[in-house]
This record gives sequence, C-alpha cells and structure tokens, in this order.
Amino acid sequence: MESGDAATAHAAGISTAGPDLEQGVEAGPESAAWAEGAAEHARATPRVRVSRAALLTLATGLLITALLSVAALELYDHNETRLLKLRARELSLVLSTAVPTLQTPLASAAELADATGGNAQKFRAFMTPLVGTGRAFTSASLWPAEGSRVAPTVIVGQRPALAGRTGEARKLFAEAKQSGQLVLTELLPGATPRLGYAYSVPGAHGGYVVYAENPLPASRRSQLAESTGFGDLNYAVYLGRSRRRKDLLVTDITHFPITGRQASTVVPFGKGAFTLVVTPARSLGGTFFEDLPWLVAIVGALVSMAAAVLTERVVRRRADAERLAGVLDRVASENRQLYTQQRGIAQTLQHALLPETLPEVAGLRISASYVPAASGIDGGGDWYDVVPCGPSSALLLIGDVSGHGLRAATTMASLRHAALAYASEDSSPASVLSKLSNFVNSGSPDYFATMLCARVDVSEHRISLASAGHLPPLLIADGEARLLEFEPDVAIGVARDWQYSETEVAIPPRAILVAYTDGLVERRGELLDVGLERLRTVALQAPPELDQLVAGLVRDLPGEEHSDDTAIVGIQWRT
Amino acid sequence: MADMNQRADLRVQTSRETPELTVVSVAGELDVSTARVLESAVEEACAPQPAELLFDLSELRFMDSAGIAVLLGATRRVPTVRLREPSPAVRRVLEMTGLTTVLPFVDP
Repeated sequence: MESGDAATAHAAGISTAGPDLEQGVEAGPESAAWAEGAAEHARATPRVRVSRAALLTLATGLLITALLSVAALELYDHNETRLLKLRARELSLVLSTAVPTLQTPLASAAELADATGGNAQKFRAFMTPLVGTGRAFTSASLWPAEGSRVAPTVIVGQRPALAGRTGEARKLFAEAKQSGQLVLTELLPGATPRLGYAYSVPGAHGGYVVYAENPLPASRRSQLAESTGFGDLNYAVYLGRSRRRKDLLVTDITHFPITGRQASTVVPFGKGAFTLVVTPARSLGGTFFEDLPWLVAIVGALVSMAAAVLTERVVRRRADAERLAGVLDRVASENRQLYTQQRGIAQTLQHALLPETLPEVAGLRISASYVPAASGIDGGGDWYDVVPCGPSSALLLIGDVSGHGLRAATTMASLRHAALAYASEDSSPASVLSKLSNFVNSGSPDYFATMLCARVDVSEHRISLASAGHLPPLLIADGEARLLEFEPDVAIGVARDWQYSETEVAIPPRAILVAYTDGLVERRGELLDVGLERLRTVALQAPPELDQLVAGLVRDLPGEEHSDDTAIVGIQWRT
Repeated sequence: MADMNQRADLRVQTSRETPELTVVSVAGELDVSTARVLESAVEEACAPQPAELLFDLSELRFMDSAGIAVLLGATRRVPTVRLREPSPAVRRVLEMTGLTTVLPFVDP
C-alpha cells in the first residue's frame, strides 16, 4: 500500500514537472489513472512470497553455519581424543609406580630368606606388618624355589590360593627365578578372585620365592577418588595385554563392552603388564568447547535468518523502486506521446490557418513560405496574410504570437481573423493595429504578438508601414538591400489604448519587399544585428527572381537547430 | 560555434532590496529553453507585491522573444518594471520590438 501511495504522488509530480503542454491539465486525470493502475498492481502482488535471493541467503547462511558447527565439533572431538590419550598415559604412569611398592618388600623378604636359610620366624616378623585387611597384601608366603615339593613353608595371613595349584606355581616360580622381576599370576579363582605376585632373587643363591596375594575388590569395582586428579575419567584395568572380560581386574565402568570415546594403554608391571582403558566421565577440555558447536549453530542460524530478512527487504525495496520507475517511464512516454500529438495538432492547425493560395494582385508578384521549428520545440504562432483592397492595392500582414504550441496557434487564429475583419473596415495599417491592440487588451492577455502591417499601393510605388514591435522589412532594389527601420510601436497585448503610427516609404520600380518573423534571423547567442546583416547579404546574393529568393532565404537562413518557426512573405513590383 | 550545441544556461538571483523594490539579476542566455526558469523566479518575486521590479541584465548575453514575454508578463503583475544595464544585444532586441517605453532602462 505504501508503494502504491508513493506511486500516486510521483505520478502526479511527473505530470506537472514534465514538459509544459500548455494544456497540461488534460494530462492530470490520465496520470492519476495510471497511478491507480500501479496501486492496484501493487495490491495484487502477494506480499507473502519470499524472494529467491532471500532463500538463497538463508540456505547459504545455514550451510556455512552447518560447516562451522561440524568443524567445531570435529575440533572438539579431536581435542577430547588427544586429551584422553594424555590422561590415559598419565594414569598408566601412576599405575606403574605401584610396581616398586609391591616389589620392594617382596624382594627384601626374598633376600632375608636367602640370608637366613628360610628362617620362618624372621620371615613372619618381616611380613606381618604388611599383611592384613587394609594393608599391602592379604596373604604372604615363602616357598622353596626348587625341589620336588611345591608348597609354602611359611604362610602369613590367609592361605594362598596358589597352594595346591602345583603346575601353575612351578611355572610362575621358574619365571620369577629366571627374570628376577615381579611376576604375576593369572587371576586365581575363588570366592573372591585373587591376583598373586612372586619374586625370587635371580641366580644360583636364590633358593626361595616370596609370594603374595591380593583379592580383587568386590565385583572388581572401584572408583578413582576425585582427589587423585583422575575424577574426570572412567577406567578399566585388565590383566595382561587382553581386554577380555575375565581378565578385568578393576573398573568403575558399569556398562560393557565399552563404547564411545576411549583410549587404552599397556602398563608394564614387573614381568607382566596391565591394560588400561579409559573413557571420559565428562568433557576434558571444559564445557565451553563442548558447547561451542551448538553455540555456533544457534548464532549462525540466527545470523542467517537476519541476513535473509535483510535481503528480502532490500529485494522488495528494489522491486518497489523498479515498479515505480516503470510507472514513471510509462507516464513520461505518454507525456512524450501527448506532446508529439499536440505538436502535430498545433502544426496542422497552423498550416490550416495559413492562406492556401495567395491572392492575385495586379502588378505584383507575391510569394510566401512557412517553416516550422525543428522537431523538439512546439510549433509557434507565426502567420501572414496578403489581402487585396481596392483595384491596385493590398494589405500585407505578418505576425508572431509569443509562446509555442496549441495555444499560440489558436491565439494566432483569433488574431488573424480579427485583423482581417479590421482590415475590411479600414485598410490603414495604424488603424488595424490600434483596433487589434484594443481587442486584445480588452481581456487580460498572457501573451503578446509582434505584427507588421503594410498597405501596398502598387501603382503609386508606395507603402505605408505600421509595426507592433515587429522586425523591419527588407527592401531590395537597384542592387541594394536595406532594412526599412523606423521607430516601432509596442507589441500587441502589451499596452492599453496605444496609438500606432504609420511610416510611408517610396518603392523603386521592380523592387522586392520581404517581411519575415524572427525565426529567420535570430540565432541563440548572437546579436540581432548580425542576423539582420546576414539576411541582407544573403538576399543580395540571391537570384532576383522572387520565388527563388524566398525559397533561398528560408533554406539558407534559419540556423541548424532553429528553435522557432519562420514565416516569410515577399512581394515584387512587376514594373 | 561550439556553444550553439550546448544547452543555454541561465542564472537568476532575486534580492529584495526594500519592501518596495525587488531586484532580479538575470545572467546567461534567456531564450525559449530557459525562459521558464526566469518565469518562476518572477512569479516568486511578485508574490510579496513589490512596487517595482528591477531586472539587472548586465550579465545577460542573449534574449529572444520568449524572454521578452517573461519581462512583459512582469509588467502585468507589478506597477513598475525597469531594466538595468542591458547589453547592446539585449537593448537592440528591446528597441526593435518597441518595448523601451514599456520596459524602460534605468541609468546605472
């Protein structure tokens, strides 16, 4: 609606600002009709349709948002995985520090047994502080390294689960003896599964094996305390290098198999190893980075929508502007058409009003011509008449109404007919002009007209001239051309009750008199006298034959872009 | 004649010297293509009904009948219309059209 109103305002503006058509009023209602048409057009266009550009903007924005979100997610993922690996390695280091705490007492006990020849009392005294609930081991025992009988000689704490499993024990001890490192058993079945450690001094003098056991925690579950610095991890520790359920030593993970992000590392433990699997309990890099992809997605979506809305507004504004421009173009082109039409009407009218044939006047040749202004400027109000009055005389009238177009042409018509009427009453030029001036000034004219009125006495070779501000006629005789200059009176329509005066001029035999309107001599930016002198010169050089002279003057004199129409009348005395 | 092809340019400046006298300075070329500019300036100048309108034509290089029509139009709206320092070209046009009595010159 808004654009419709604007269209109305602009269309109305154009019709008045456009070329003044003299009858511009007519253009008004039609412009209003165009504007209404435009407004209807605006109403008919559904406003809910979103432009393709806006949709494209939205799609592009969302695509970019999605890409950025995915990138942020990838980055987060990558970062979390990297952090998890680091944390797993840290935790494995912590776990491996457990080796010396277990190995050192067992190694010391082994040395002691070797030194004391397996003294039970000394062994018991050494190990007792280390065995019991809440201490390092639940069971410690001393075994001879070799010999046919594989059985503990001393037991501190609980009876070892290894006792009676001769094959396993033999294999374990051989391994311990050979490596000189802490060796681990398989998980030993029982009410609570146990893990056993064995140590023996390597070499020939190592005659004993110290063996200790620890039960796994209930259901093999144990939390990493928050205070250890690993509270952000869940973990599972397997015996050996496998991740079989049966080898699970301890964990705080409730659901197996472990899914999602995880890192695993093998922790060497004496002769054997543990496998550590960790999963993040929460985001390791902080919640900001966890939320970043969502943040990007939400902000991106909002920005995309804002951009789409903005694009839509711009597109609509442009569409409105284009529609307006279309309306204005149409108005302008219609105005041009009207203008051309009117120009055509004015010219047609003008031609229709000019005498079709010139009268026969004894002893006189008469020739006249009218040239409309070059296209682009409306037709003017130039006219001429030659009226016979009496047997040997005629009245020559030439005039120029100020202004252009249809109104100048109609004004010219009324002036011309009035002049003809006054001429029939009294053929004195001054009288014709005075009456005409009174006739025009009885209204309040918004134009003026210059006029030259000449009464031609053919046989007496004399003319009487009266001028209402008109340019002086040219007299060509005896190889000379001169302007018949005299004090002119004011133009018609300028002053009330003006008494026009007459000047008499004697005419040599066969002389030519040329009366004309200003289009013949006026050129923009040039002194009038220059134009008058050009007329004089061209007239002198032209052939002395009247028709050719008149034709030559209208052909040669008006400038290239003559913006005014031109009328010219020539008469020549035959004798 | 290069400037024959250029569009004529006209500059009009109006100054209200006293409540009675308004001076309209016209510079450039006054013809059918620019007369409308002067016409609207005259219309504006006549609105406060000054007793005299003085056209300063010292900078006016050229005037044709369309320009004369505007000056004559002013005589119908204001009791006195006078012209100051018209150039020889303009003066000649006014003399030729017998308008020096209706549009008298003031001596500088």
